Amino acid sequence: MNAIIFTTILGIVLLYLGLAHNKKILAPAAILGLLITLVLSIKDWNIGSDYFHDMVIFDNFSIAFNVSMIIITILIFLFGIDYYKRMEHHVAEQYSLMIFALIGAFLMTSFSNLIMLFLGIEILSIPLYILAGGKKSSYRSNEASFKYFMLGSFATAFFLFGIALVYGASATFYLPEIKVYISQFNGNLPPMLLIGLLFILIGVAFKVAAAPFHFWSPDVYEGSPTLVTAFMATVVKTAGFAAFFRLLGMGLLPLPVPLEKALWVMTGLSLLIGNIGAMKQGNFKRLLAYSSIAHSGFLMLAMLSQHGSSVSVLLYYTFVYSLATIPLFIIFILVKRASNGEEQIADFRGLYQQKPWLAVFITILLVSLAGIPPTAGFMAKYQVFVLSISHGYLGISIFAILMAIVGVYYYFYVVREVFTESDHLETIVVTKLNAALIIACGLAVIVFGIFTWNLPI
Amino acid sequence: MILLIILLIPFVASLLLLLVKHAETVKKLALVSSVLNLLLTFYLLFSGSSTGVATQSYVFAGSQFSLGYDGVSLVMILLTNLLFPFIILAGFNREQKQPQILYALILFAQSALIGVFLAQNAFLFYIFWELSLIPVYFILLLWGGENRRAITLKFFIYTLAGSLFLLFGIIFLYQLTPGLHTTDFAVINQLVIPESTQIWLFWILFIAFAIKMPVFPFHTWQPSTYTMASTQGVMILAGVMTKMGIYGALRFLFPIIPLGVLFWQNTVIILSLIVVIYASVIAFRQANLKKLIAFSSMAHISLMAAAMFVLNYYSIQGVLFQVISHGVTIVALFYLVHIIEEKTGTLELSQMGGIKLIAPRLAILMLIVVLGSIALPLTAGFVGEFLMITGLFQQSVWFAAIGGITMILGAVYMLYAYQRVMLGETRADYKPITDLGLLDYCILIPLILILLGLGVYPQPIFNLVETAVVAMQNFLLPIANVATSFAN
Repeated sequence: MNAIIFTTILGIVLLYLGLAHNKKILAPAAILGLLITLVLSIKDWNIGSDYFHDMVIFDNFSIAFNVSMIIITILIFLFGIDYYKRMEHHVAEQYSLMIFALIGAFLMTSFSNLIMLFLGIEILSIPLYILAGGKKSSYRSNEASFKYFMLGSFATAFFLFGIALVYGASATFYLPEIKVYISQFNGNLPPMLLIGLLFILIGVAFKVAAAPFHFWSPDVYEGSPTLVTAFMATVVKTAGFAAFFRLLGMGLLPLPVPLEKALWVMTGLSLLIGNIGAMKQGNFKRLLAYSSIAHSGFLMLAMLSQHGSSVSVLLYYTFVYSLATIPLFIIFILVKRASNGEEQIADFRGLYQQKPWLAVFITILLVSLAGIPPTAGFMAKYQVFVLSISHGYLGISIFAILMAIVGVYYYFYVVREVFTESDHLETIVVTKLNAALIIACGLAVIVFGIFTWNLPI
Repeated sequence: MILLIILLIPFVASLLLLLVKHAETVKKLALVSSVLNLLLTFYLLFSGSSTGVATQSYVFAGSQFSLGYDGVSLVMILLTNLLFPFIILAGFNREQKQPQILYALILFAQSALIGVFLAQNAFLFYIFWELSLIPVYFILLLWGGENRRAITLKFFIYTLAGSLFLLFGIIFLYQLTPGLHTTDFAVINQLVIPESTQIWLFWILFIAFAIKMPVFPFHTWQPSTYTMASTQGVMILAGVMTKMGIYGALRFLFPIIPLGVLFWQNTVIILSLIVVIYASVIAFRQANLKKLIAFSSMAHISLMAAAMFVLNYYSIQGVLFQVISHGVTIVALFYLVHIIEEKTGTLELSQMGGIKLIAPRLAILMLIVVLGSIALPLTAGFVGEFLMITGLFQQSVWFAAIGGITMILGAVYMLYAYQRVMLGETRADYKPITDLGLLDYCILIPLILILLGLGVYPQPIFNLVETAVVAMQNFLLPIANVATSFAN
């Protein structure tokens, strides 16, 4: 709880720091604040605490996910030092909006009540609607912001409608009570309750960009400022899956058959649309958007196969996915700057000629996303498959493996571009800080891959 | 400890190479590392316990890292470490871009391959299996020839697709193990899996190996990849990586799912024999020398695959023998192709001819290797193919007949190619061609000596694999008897 209060104050303080017209102090202040939040969160480890009549429960689950998200946000802010150097106005707002979104994410990992989940999702989303439109003069950015807002509101409406229906049936918002209420029907749920639950799941599925509720993500990813896209692809995804997991575990398990079917269909569709959609993308941000949909599919596969033991897999998967994705976005920004704002995958051509070390690290990161040993991405996928195969979901596992093969294609398509020679080379400028961070992330991806490989065995 | 050293020498050397500036030093260092590894392998072979089975476990960062070997692994290790010095030598005195990275990748591939053959744990096996693919991918992508971008991507996806199915199979086996799950081969080999499961599991596991070998219908990546690859790349691919498929099949299929193997035995043999004929015919029609060799390699490997599935003493012995003999032959052949391309500037058979008149020594050495490739008696190829066809004969006369045809077809296309390259009128448009240099002798003479030596006196290899072959046979015999008694 201290963490949430402190973070809220941090966000407001940052807003006021913006008045000082000194950009240089913003990032250090924000990072320092987040480090304190990190310490405050870790201090609560093993001390379960609940607030507001059990509406918010901080347990080890929520702390673990919060810590993961704080680390990722710190990483994004560190990259932000260079990214926001070129921006003259409203830099403070960028930082504080991300911090406000983070607070929403904290609530999404620790709710025990549908209203709290709703608040969490909204607190996360509203800053993001603004952030997506961060480039005021850019047509695409405005489009992204508006699209995200429209579709996001639509999903929120569904979500609220679902909560209302569930409340109408069960007369409670409190998830454990809803669970008791559901269990009395022995699987034959009344239509109102069933539709209510389905709408709630749709609301969450929208946030994690699971197909068929993914339509916003390629456009929004493409149009938003790249650093914001990185934030969306990582922190929002982590928070979304934490919420998804908690919602199922606290309120809905064992899943009623129609809902379970609906979720399996979403899993299959996410795998299919994510991977097939990514194949033909020329724009790198859209490619990563589809890849993010595909990863949602893998995460859902783990979560649905064996809910109880999938916690560590979800945490590990989302964390190493973020570790690989953020530097990719950053490298993309650097390449994009050199090629005068083009956003094509072909911009990576000649990277190996010009900056061999950068080419090596981008390869490591892509290999990790593709799930090839010895990287962390492989261990993550391996654990997902251990869960799904050992619980007998062989058909969908084979399907997921086929889709993973498709994934290898488009990730290695990028690798191929990186190692293709180019006639006209633009100078790619990498600041020392960015270089250090990219190298650190690349090494972390390998270290996590090697030193955790005994986890499932 | 020696296993770990053999595994790590190339890996450490590959990291060191990245720090070296001078190109010739890089090559020399790489050569020293690989020769050192070869010497250590000989030490391992002669240190007494070579015929037995040994497992050594190392606890590494909390995880079990178990390496070990039996006769089959030893043959593979011997082959790998024997060929890599020659593969590295093949780059000496030749202009290559970024030699640091090239040789680092080559040594890294060697390390990963050794890991594949030493791993005593299916999970570890898989890690090394994938690791070996990455350096080879970059060797092909960065040092390959024409149209390499599309071809390497196809090669990579193809092999990785197989690997992912293998991963599925490994996880499936993992969750079948009792108690605390494990992927140790020792435990997995004891599993009793129902026949209906074995029948579908067979294909899940086999696809990965079939793609690596390659066996029909998973062979379509091979000819274009071989043709495009640089000489060193194709030597690694054809000499060693194809053997990974054979090793994997011996390690996974026969001990773990014998009933599945029995069920699909004839299907695989027939598929392989189809390729044998098909590849031989295409090889005959090829206009490109390198592609011709690629198809001939496909035919030979498929014959090995067919023989492997016969599951009797002779055939398995023959396959393991042929692993060495084919590896040595194909490396020598590709090196010869490389020399010819350097000297004539082309690979098209229609533009060659009469090289014998200007470079007689090259012609003689090539003739010996070609004869080894078509399995003439007194060469190692003969011993292997003879054993394999004996094995096929015990399964069915027809299989043996078709297998035997390959030896004839092999003679036809290889000699026809030799004739078009070496004999006839000398082409007027050749630059003045010099004969072989010292380096070429250093590579070709030892390889030829191995070929002839093993052809005359194959016993050392038989001794090496004896226990492994008997073990493999014992593993399958009772089940085969049960199966036939059921059938009766």
